[in-house]
Amino acid sequence: MSHIIESHNLSKVYNPDTIPVNAVNGVNLQVEEGEFTALVGPSGSGKTTLLNLIGGLDYPTGGSVKIEGVDITQMKENKLIDFRLKNIGFVFQAYNLIPVLTASENVEFVMLLQKTAKKEREQRAVELLTEVGLKDKLNKRPSELSGGQQQRVAVARALASKPRFILADEPTANLDSKSTENLLEIMAKLNVEDKMTFIFSTHDQRVIDKARRVVTLVDGKIVSDVKQ
Amino acid sequence: MLFKIAWRNIWRNRTRSVVVIASVAVGLFAGMFMMAFFQGAINQEIQSTVETQLSHIQFHNPAFIADKDVNFTIGDGPAIIGRLKKDAGVKAVSGRLVTTGMISSSSTAAGVEIHGVVAEDEKAVSTISKDIIEGSYFTGKKNEIVIGEKLAIKLGVKLHNKIVLTFQSKTGDLTAGSFRIAGIFRSRNSAFDQTTVFTGFDDLAALLGTGNGIHEIAVMLKDGQKTDAFDRTLKKEYPNLLVQTWTELSPQMALLTGIMDQMMYIIIGIILLALMFGIINTMLMAVLERQREFGMLMAIGMNKPRVFFMILLESVMLTCAGIPRRDLVHHYHRWFAFKARDRSFGILAGIVAIRFQQYYLPGPAKVYVPAGIINDGLYRCFIGHIPRNKSTKI
Repeated sequence: MSHIIESHNLSKVYNPDTIPVNAVNGVNLQVEEGEFTALVGPSGSGKTTLLNLIGGLDYPTGGSVKIEGVDITQMKENKLIDFRLKNIGFVFQAYNLIPVLTASENVEFVMLLQKTAKKEREQRAVELLTEVGLKDKLNKRPSELSGGQQQRVAVARALASKPRFILADEPTANLDSKSTENLLEIMAKLNVEDKMTFIFSTHDQRVIDKARRVVTLVDGKIVSDVKQ
Repeated sequence: MLFKIAWRNIWRNRTRSVVVIASVAVGLFAGMFMMAFFQGAINQEIQSTVETQLSHIQFHNPAFIADKDVNFTIGDGPAIIGRLKKDAGVKAVSGRLVTTGMISSSSTAAGVEIHGVVAEDEKAVSTISKDIIEGSYFTGKKNEIVIGEKLAIKLGVKLHNKIVLTFQSKTGDLTAGSFRIAGIFRSRNSAFDQTTVFTGFDDLAALLGTGNGIHEIAVMLKDGQKTDAFDRTLKKEYPNLLVQTWTELSPQMALLTGIMDQMMYIIIGIILLALMFGIINTMLMAVLERQREFGMLMAIGMNKPRVFFMILLESVMLTCAGIPRRDLVHHYHRWFAFKARDRSFGILAGIVAIRFQQYYLPGPAKVYVPAGIINDGLYRCFIGHIPRNKSTKI
């Protein structure tokens, strides 16, 4: 299998001129296609920072990140935004859906940014929402959905752009146990059936149990990398 | 979908948006009303002066303006009047005799300008006949005179009283004539009322000894906006005569219009500036409240120009939501203006001004509304610039 993601000596230092904080410190990480990987560690270990660097949401202080051989750390901002649009899906802890759009419109929105035709957008949005079990919630706005349902819409949105991989930052943190179970089942199914690569940052043991690879971070460094 | 998002985002905070929209509508309406009100006042004054005294165009012998000698008549005046009456663009033409003299009653005397007019022609050119408050505008009898109310009070005379006009004839002799007051008028210009009297053309010509000679030809056009074009044509056609528009006859009136225009731009500018700060404040609040949302949008692949555009759209839509409210009121006023009969100075002056402005503006009035929307939209594009800059720095 090929490496989708490769980071080499990746570092991120906050406040370098005042009180420097090494959020990520020389991380070398390779992720293959089809992985279901959990980044774990205590609070402040650098999980979210590492995810941001891999996702191109932040620039590293040192090192590089390559996505399918393309070094994203050298890209200018607008090109990086475009790269993210085409290659990376995001699922955030706080769902981050557009509150004035319905579930279907939220999923369509990403495809709109990709200039997909209207009919195709609408069709795919219905398919994705059906896949995550929300066929009857197409026209509901986020305020009319439960936390679990919103997170499922977020997963559908992340899949809409046909990304190479999906980054999920503590996706189950705000969910009850039933919703967490549902969400994990959906993600696992997508991973097995569609070979979608997932990288999570999580404290949730249920997520860790589901993951096939667990990377442990402490103080910005990888201290263990276990395939289970 | 960006339009959909922008429109729905406006209504996230309904109260705030309603307040902003109401402020835009009220502010713009207040500005429009002020403009219309002052424009109405000016236009009313202009219209009154044009219809009462000046007409759109006047002809004179060039020497007559400098020295109002009764000998300086317009060469071939009747032929010119005949030609002008046949012109499709001319509404009415009146030939006048004009001289200065004294008017005397049993108690006192006053200096006046005496206009000898052909009643039927003059009625079409001037509105004095409609301003008669006592008697009538000539009955066809000999030696009738129509004077202003202020002058009548000054002279201590009433309707049907006799007065004496004294003036210099063509031969330079002092001539007098006795006239019976046929009518008393009250125009909007009290100074005019006090210093101008009207007699029959033939009666004055007989006393002056000018025969068919005419001192002044007053021309009213069907379309006042074509005054300048007509003026150019007539100046070419009659190079030996002094052909003047009302702006040339009364430069202070033209100056007043110009000053009012400048003043209105300043006032409107101040109102728009105040509204602008309100809109900027509202949009900045909306942007700062949604920092996470903009970050998320950029994370999932929405580039900065699109974020710019979304904020700009919200700003423009917020403004445009206020414009139709203002124009509904504007349309109401225009409808009301067509129904209004009272043209007195005051609040209806603004309504009249809107109607009058339609008469004087180039092009149909309905163009005015879309132009206002376009102007406001462009102005709001400028307002959107500050909040959208803030959003892309998040």
